[in-house]
Amino acid sequence: MFAPMPALERRLTDLLGAARVITARDALLAWECDGFTVHRALPRAVVLPESTAEVQAIVQLLHGENVPFVPRGAGTCLSGGPTPSVPAVVIELARMKRVLHVSPDDLLAVVQPGVVNLDLTLAVQHLGLHYAPDPSSQSVCTIGGNLAENSGGPHCFKYGMTTDHMLGAVVVLPDGSLARLGQNAGPRAPHALDLPGVFCGSEGTFGIATEIMVRLSRDQESVRTLLAAFATMTAACRTVGDIVAAGLVPAALEILDQATIRAVEASVYRAGYPEDAAAVLLVEIDGPRQVVDEEAAEIRGLFLARSPLRIEEASTPAERKRLWKGRKGAFGAMGRLNTDLYVLDGVVPRTRLVEALDRIHAIAERHGVLLTNVFHAGDGNLHPNISYDGRDAAQTARTVAAGREILQVCLDLGGSITGEHGIGSEKLDYMALMYDPTDLEVMARVRTAFNPSGLCNPGKVLPTRNACAEVAKWPKMVERVLDDHQRRGGDR
Amino acid sequence: MTQRPTSRAELQDLLRSRRHPRVRLLGSGSRPAMVRRVPSDATFVSLAAMDRIERLEPGDLTCSVQPGVLRHELDLELRRHGLELPCAGTGTIGGLFAADDIGPLAPGAPAPRNLLLGLEGVLADGTPFKSGARVVKSVAGFDVHKLFVGSQGRLFAATLLHLKLRPLPRASCAFGVRNLSLADALAKFAGLRQEPAGVHQVTLLRDAAGACMLAGRLGGRASHLAALRTRFSLAESADAGPLQLHAEAGHELITGIVCCSRLNGLLADLPAAAPFLMHGGGRFWTVLPTPQVAPLLSRMPTHDAHAVAVSAADSPGTALDPGAATLTTAIRHALDPRGVLA
Ligand SMILES: Cc1cc2nc3c(=O)[nH]c(=O)nc-3n(C[C@H](O)[C@H](O)[C@H](O)COP(=O)(O)OP(=O)(O)OC[C@H]3O[C@@H](n4cnc5c(N)ncnc54)[C@H](O)[C@@H]3O)c2cc1C
Repeated sequence: MFAPMPALERRLTDLLGAARVITARDALLAWECDGFTVHRALPRAVVLPESTAEVQAIVQLLHGENVPFVPRGAGTCLSGGPTPSVPAVVIELARMKRVLHVSPDDLLAVVQPGVVNLDLTLAVQHLGLHYAPDPSSQSVCTIGGNLAENSGGPHCFKYGMTTDHMLGAVVVLPDGSLARLGQNAGPRAPHALDLPGVFCGSEGTFGIATEIMVRLSRDQESVRTLLAAFATMTAACRTVGDIVAAGLVPAALEILDQATIRAVEASVYRAGYPEDAAAVLLVEIDGPRQVVDEEAAEIRGLFLARSPLRIEEASTPAERKRLWKGRKGAFGAMGRLNTDLYVLDGVVPRTRLVEALDRIHAIAERHGVLLTNVFHAGDGNLHPNISYDGRDAAQTARTVAAGREILQVCLDLGGSITGEHGIGSEKLDYMALMYDPTDLEVMARVRTAFNPSGLCNPGKVLPTRNACAEVAKWPKMVERVLDDHQRRGGDR
Repeated sequence: MTQRPTSRAELQDLLRSRRHPRVRLLGSGSRPAMVRRVPSDATFVSLAAMDRIERLEPGDLTCSVQPGVLRHELDLELRRHGLELPCAGTGTIGGLFAADDIGPLAPGAPAPRNLLLGLEGVLADGTPFKSGARVVKSVAGFDVHKLFVGSQGRLFAATLLHLKLRPLPRASCAFGVRNLSLADALAKFAGLRQEPAGVHQVTLLRDAAGACMLAGRLGGRASHLAALRTRFSLAESADAGPLQLHAEAGHELITGIVCCSRLNGLLADLPAAAPFLMHGGGRFWTVLPTPQVAPLLSRMPTHDAHAVAVSAADSPGTALDPGAATLTTAIRHALDPRGVLA
């Protein structure tokens, strides 16, 4: 299928040894896609470096040979970011998983990019510290992937996104040179540009982070999780508004709709959520014990004013874990609904949540797709999920078309086409819905400053001019999905 | 002469038809931030007349403001809705974000880089563009707007800034503790930095006579503030805002960033008579006789610190990492290839 690459393979093997260079077609299947399974492509090869020097040597070699390459962490991305868009060598950083330095006095850690998000917190928890950004995939995804995606998670309402916890990174630039962006003391020296700020969220297109400096947070004295089940989604969303209007800043404000509740309750992630509820709202508050007591009382009062079906409150780690189990396992539970899951990610202003959800339901109904909603309500970050059978081309097409309309709703309401999952290849064609050509041109100029050769993860984030022109007519993604489907004989 | 466009379109026209090869962008022009030599071929463009709060959504905790809006006017409006822009700084909002000359006031406290959600801007050649979004969360495209923070007006002009807001704390109070030994001040400073909640600002000051004080602001629930005041023996005081140092003639004001764990070493390296001020977020200032500035800047890397002379025109500051310096040049060239923004 691909042009033979023995010479390149030999040189990569010289650098890393045969065990860390993968070229066999069967073996490469493991790197064929990320969590966005509609975009599949075999890499030319996969290499598994273990140090900055090795990454640098690989990139220098590939740059010299004009071969595109794609950095990859754990491959949990939901927008096709680490899946090659052109024949490319995948540079997987998962073996670089050492916590290099922890300074409790400075509240910082320096880690290699392959450190799993949750492992960092586990490594510092004996010091009363944690790493705040907590994507739901945190037991698998890597800090390198988080940096590249500017990942969020349930607790960003209070604590912010990855970018807010990033101090800097050592980066192998696409020509193989090294740059240190930011430093332990902070992301920006007074006379410097905020290079970590612009690198964060660049989706593997600006270079490869091989050492990352992150800010750690002190554990709070007390954490409490409250659950309220409501007979209507409107009541749940309005309660979120009430909490914000009262000047409270909970750590997390999450909502699951009825279809999600039922999927969860029928799965191993069963958390005891009431199945007759139209929505479950989870609120987590943290802080000094007395403050948590006061805030919990206030939040219970706000719940009661909206006539909930049920209220629960958990203070011990075990009780809290049970309440969160359903939320954290929601995506897994949806696996029961059909063979494939299209996890959408859009943002609306929090005050427009009710309207957005009404319109999203209408879209799902019109396209006849099965929709579940689980979302970061505090941030207005929706995750409408469509369960579909990817072997059925018509269903797939309806799914993608509904997805596009849903994202258009987010934009119509003044939001964004992605709150945390990124553009990758999935949303390339939607960028022109959100941005004008000059906006994209300015972004392209900045990318060129980092990646002049274009070899680092090509075909991601920014659409080509043609795609911009096409988008108004018909989402290219549908065409791509259907082409892909045909190529693989309608089966996988 | 200073030109004062009143709209984005006027600014675009002005940049496209400018007769001077170089432009110095200004907010209100009041900022004593890093002094850069004004090239003789430059014209001044002040964005102070673009001074509207275009959108304020209390329920979404966001607003969109033009760059000329004055900080204290925005504060007044936000306070009416029980909200605040939780970072330090004065002057125009555009100037505050472009200078970012204070940084976070405590570890984890927001600074301009954490509050800028997106912006509309104009490149030096008059090209309009936008970056980011006006909702609290968006990862669509590259965060070009992050480059605005601290760019000193040298990359592009921001004509509308989308900002993240926070509810005003239920209670807040300023504190001050005077006449501390350096060891006591450092210990208390470190302790307050480690507090997971309630410390919105903590600032350490050592004056020229060697006397130390701590100042700052607590915010949150009254019950917690009372507990913090007792635990750290903090006396309530009038809120003086972020403290500042000033340089006398023959002296230079230096600002930089340093890790708390390296503070002792840095202080030991400063002349005993050099006043020193540091916020809990890592930004520090000191004042030195001019001849001592360059040697100190060259020693900064030994303290893992980075600094620049604020008051010296075009001071190069501590050398940046060579890779970062190359990228900085490439970004400047990409956004302003003719070097118009001086
Ligand atoms: C069940 C599930 C739940 C999820 N929940 C969330 C959530 O709550 N919030 C959220 O934000 N996301 C979530 N995600 C998405 C995903 O987990 C995140 O985007 C995560 O940060 C990806 O990390 P990764 O290590 O898997 O990176 P990968 O998927 O391997 O790569 C992601 C991108 O980063 C680039 N990259 C990887 N490593 C580097 C590096 N060292 N240097 C430069 N570029 C690099 C890749 O090229 C790619 O573009 C979820 C995904 C799943 C499957």
